[in-house]
Amino acid sequence: MNDKKINNGPETWVDDHGDYLLQYAYVRLRNSAAAEDAVQETFLAGYKAFERYNGKTPVRYWLRGILRHKVVDYIRKSSREVPIDDTENNEILDSFNFKALGIFDQNPPDWKFDPEHAFERKEFMKIFYECISEMKDNLAQAFVLREIDGLSTDEICKQLNLTPNNLWVILHRARKQLKSCLESKWTKEANGVF
Amino acid sequence: MITCKQVSKALAENRIHELPWHKRLGLKLHIKLCFVCGKANGQIVQLQNGIKKMLDQDDESIYLNVKLSDETKNNIKEKMISNNEYNDN
Repeated sequence: MNDKKINNGPETWVDDHGDYLLQYAYVRLRNSAAAEDAVQETFLAGYKAFERYNGKTPVRYWLRGILRHKVVDYIRKSSREVPIDDTENNEILDSFNFKALGIFDQNPPDWKFDPEHAFERKEFMKIFYECISEMKDNLAQAFVLREIDGLSTDEICKQLNLTPNNLWVILHRARKQLKSCLESKWTKEANGVF
Repeated sequence: MITCKQVSKALAENRIHELPWHKRLGLKLHIKLCFVCGKANGQIVQLQNGIKKMLDQDDESIYLNVKLSDETKNNIKEKMISNNEYNDN
């Protein structure tokens, strides 16, 4: 073992970054065992590749970068088609209330709070994570990959094995559920605090 | 002509910026002129801006009750060491 490894203490990685990385993986994989496997593989790969670590970014974010690839690989391998039948698609389309020629006939209700400012508060972020973990697996995965990880819709379709139409419905549903969950929990929290 | 249905699809997928410029222009114009699409877009942008703020903070807090057990941690540490010894040989 060389000096670099000893001085930078990969031996402390598991204690220092393990839980943080596990949360990162769990939010995306929705499965504790799979998340633990991905974290373990990340540490092993990181340890092996430590010679190539240039020290420009903190170790935590460097490991998170490795984990991101592991997570995407896992999703790609494990995803199966989750068909959404036409009834559901129509139900979503109906919920938009389009008039003839596809014109909107429904005014979307305002946010009950300002999400831009709410995200500055730790209590809100906790609620955000709770709401994501309460969503169905495919909804949460698609939402996180799109909105947090910034993957393209094509990549998500490929990785989650979805058709573009299914992805549209899934993302719409995810956003709608998230909005109602955040509103309900955050209003309760704010009423309790203030 | 771009319909609200097409706009709502692009908004749901958050992919307006990925579209070719002429489609992007048509969508943006529609969003400017149509009250309901403008409002729907505004709400999505509010959430996205919030998420962006969260990501910019690079918050390291653990929010979920998911933790590695001591046993798992020790297993990983042992594997890191044994893998390294194997590689060194």
